[in-house]
Amino acid sequence: MLNNSRQIQKNIYSIAISIFIALIFPLKAFAENPTLPSGLKWLSNDSGQEWSSTSAAKGGLIRLNISSFPPTLRTVGPDSNNSFRSFLLDNQMPLVEMHPNSGEIIPLLASHWAYDEDGKTVYYKIKPTARWSDGKPVTADDFLFALEFNRSKDIVAPWYNKHYSEEIVDLIKYDPLTIAIVGARAKPKKDLHYYYSVQPRAKHFHKLNEDWVNRYNWKIEPNTGPYQVGKVRKGKSIGFIRKKNWWAKDDRYLRHRFNIDQVLVKVVRDPNTAFKYFERGELDIFNLTLPKLWHEKSNSPMFEKGFIHKVTFYNETEQGASGLFLNLDNTNLQNIKVRQAIAHSLNFEKVISQLLRGDYQRLPSFHTGYGDYSNNKIKPLKFDLGQAATLLESAGWNNKDRYGIRMKGEQRLSFTVSYGNKLHEPQIIVLSEEAKKAGIELKPLYLESTSFYKNVIEKKHDIAWLGWSTGFRPAFWQHFHSDNAHKAQTNNITNFADENIDRLIIQYRESTDEKERIRLARILEQNIAEQSIFIPSTMAPFTRAGFWRWLKLPETIATKSSQSLFDPFNITTGGLFWIDAKTKIDSLSAKRSGKGFKAYSLINTEYK
Amino acid sequence: MTTRDADSSWHKFKKLKRGYYSFIILFSLIILSCFAELIFNSKALLVNYNDELYWPIFSPAIEGQQFGLDYDYETNYRQLKKQWLEQEQTIDSFNNFVILPLVPYNPTEVDLSDGFYPPQPPSAESQHYLGTDTIGRDVLVRLVYGFRIAIFFAMTLLIVEYLVGVFIGCFMGFLGGAFDLFFQRIIEIWSNIPFLYIVMIMSSLITPGFWSLVLIMALFGWMSMTWYMRSGSYKEANRDYVLAAKMMGASNFRIIYKHIIPNSISTIITFIPFSVAGGITALTALDFLSFGLPAPAPSWGELLKQGVDNLDYPWIISSVVIALSFVLMLVTFIGEAIREVFDPKHKIYYE
Repeated sequence: MLNNSRQIQKNIYSIAISIFIALIFPLKAFAENPTLPSGLKWLSNDSGQEWSSTSAAKGGLIRLNISSFPPTLRTVGPDSNNSFRSFLLDNQMPLVEMHPNSGEIIPLLASHWAYDEDGKTVYYKIKPTARWSDGKPVTADDFLFALEFNRSKDIVAPWYNKHYSEEIVDLIKYDPLTIAIVGARAKPKKDLHYYYSVQPRAKHFHKLNEDWVNRYNWKIEPNTGPYQVGKVRKGKSIGFIRKKNWWAKDDRYLRHRFNIDQVLVKVVRDPNTAFKYFERGELDIFNLTLPKLWHEKSNSPMFEKGFIHKVTFYNETEQGASGLFLNLDNTNLQNIKVRQAIAHSLNFEKVISQLLRGDYQRLPSFHTGYGDYSNNKIKPLKFDLGQAATLLESAGWNNKDRYGIRMKGEQRLSFTVSYGNKLHEPQIIVLSEEAKKAGIELKPLYLESTSFYKNVIEKKHDIAWLGWSTGFRPAFWQHFHSDNAHKAQTNNITNFADENIDRLIIQYRESTDEKERIRLARILEQNIAEQSIFIPSTMAPFTRAGFWRWLKLPETIATKSSQSLFDPFNITTGGLFWIDAKTKIDSLSAKRSGKGFKAYSLINTEYK
Repeated sequence: MTTRDADSSWHKFKKLKRGYYSFIILFSLIILSCFAELIFNSKALLVNYNDELYWPIFSPAIEGQQFGLDYDYETNYRQLKKQWLEQEQTIDSFNNFVILPLVPYNPTEVDLSDGFYPPQPPSAESQHYLGTDTIGRDVLVRLVYGFRIAIFFAMTLLIVEYLVGVFIGCFMGFLGGAFDLFFQRIIEIWSNIPFLYIVMIMSSLITPGFWSLVLIMALFGWMSMTWYMRSGSYKEANRDYVLAAKMMGASNFRIIYKHIIPNSISTIITFIPFSVAGGITALTALDFLSFGLPAPAPSWGELLKQGVDNLDYPWIISSVVIALSFVLMLVTFIGEAIREVFDPKHKIYYE
């Protein structure tokens, strides 16, 4: 009886357990592995043109400089947004990227991708070969963790918390190597990759808790890119070492790239000192975009003896919208004739030819270099004192005071031009001297960068001189929609508000059809240019560098979108150069014996 | 201090040659800088056009059309002069002339001539006697106008600081008691505030101008004088003449103003030159850190900054360093001499 009852009890338990398992397991399995929708069209673009050189050889060391040592090696959280971060982020591969020449999507961490019909979801298959720097495979769980990580309060990064909750709505795992990223709004297909991109975080590495920010300050996070951080000498330098058996080294678009064995990033605080280091051969590469560096400083013996080569490369990439932003809250600036007269009174030709040595070009419009989205028909108003005078006279500014500044009744035609970067002061002073000829007084007003930012974002300026950083697509809403006008802390710093433009902006924002968006972007650009609320200044559609002669570049030099020729890590445009070991030995012995070579300067205008 | 005292002090000062000549030089520099517009200016002193005389410096902007040029903004007189010299003379125009000031540039004017990129080295031909700065403005002219701003800034600052410092110090010494104790503590606390940081923070919040900068700096500079005046008036307060004045019913203010200050003023006078030097260096330092007067005001600090950033163009840094050390040296020599004159222990007969 006793035995019997025990037996029954046992049976009941086992039945209960099996029922429990039967009930729970399929549920759990369903939660973990939802099924992929049928009929997905997987794309892989594995036949696009490559842009590296097959003659590239591996090996060697290069030394670069940064101006200050990073306050942390974290890539999120307090103090992480420093200039060094890009070195770390560039070694974290994205799922896909845009081809630097053709603009097509190319596979990196993902091998295939597919679009959902809802217009906001993209499916990705992760390459099975993908590995973290510690050898562990990259799986869908690392992506799920990335979402959890970026939404966590522990990383102390509110922008990330917000972005990964409100913009990236969901991330679904279908199997260990298949995921889907769901964005908040429908967008054109190509744009989805940009707006809704998630990079994996090594789940086995991070332990999220309140102390995360402090504990991970100097920890070296596993990455997926070609290099990993090596020796860190605090305050002095950070070394990167090439992964000898990097999992993607033979993948299409990545082979024959990232050739240098060791990249040493040295801290040199003063740019003049850094240049001296470069001339002495303690740095291998130096950016020479500034006219003074290119034209004057690079006439020294090492350049003339051909040890250091010079190269100019014209690129075709997005240009930051930099220039003068006229605040429509100023009653005198509300008159479009006054705004146009100001545009006509700015002698950018003189600034470019005599201050910038003719190297720079006039920026045509707000969104320049955005490919099809840019309106290439727009030309900025030219320096024309006659036009300015006619416009001002028809606006009632007829008299002049004893300094030659125009008056209307008791009012003087005078505006402050505030700026937050001393580098731009010469240009502003030359422009304001020239504007006097049109009877317009532009008073330069330097504000320390934080208070300048505050002044502008609270819209207390008359005219602000600044440049916005570039984006992926033209962004009209933040700069020109009435929702953002007359409000502090928004990017509509001209306080521009117009019902028709608003309507177009909303249409542009909501459209998922690329052609329609391109058409609207061009119309908007034209309308905004006609308002003369933004007067474009200059752009440098090129990059220039000096480099020691043993560094070799591919025959094509760089890509259409390259912003730097010797970027060691950038996953699309970087890592194209290599060291010719024999040339290096020859050059160093020639340097010791005092011999020289022919001076060398190359200009590539393929994309000019 | 009676007139006779002043006379004899002046007499003594005159005999201290180094200080006296320094004073003469500095004084003439200041006077000269007041008339800088006549010597350093892009406007012409005198223009004769078709038998009519023009005084551009003293009149409102004269448009180019007035002189037969093809533009309606202010005339470029250097160009006009060149044009008239090169032009073939006709019966109408042979009398035309332009008299330019000695250095025909103004401090904010950018001189960008074709083929030359700023800065230009010193050259007598282009009349940039000390060259131009990195934007193309004349270094000499900016030095002169910068000097005027710096010296007047230092003197204004001095007046404001001393007015406040002397009165508070005198009242502390004369009244004593709670008033004295209270201000002693205030001054101790106040003078421990790091002055330069405060000025930086303030001038990043508001855009500093000449007067606001004087005010900010006086706010943190008035304390230094109070201690001397306090001990001076403390001593004087118990003298018979003060007691007599008190007995006759003179008010505190009258006693301090009429009796105590004149009798302890000598201490202050010896400090004046050093305060002037302090004012000049403080403004220069602030301008150097770009927390001083806003651009494009001519300023020594800004020139110094440019010079340090561009050591390849030695004329910028050397001009401003020499000018700065020269003026500070003059001020120090004057200060030394004054100290000697008013030194009570040091009865020396100069003959």
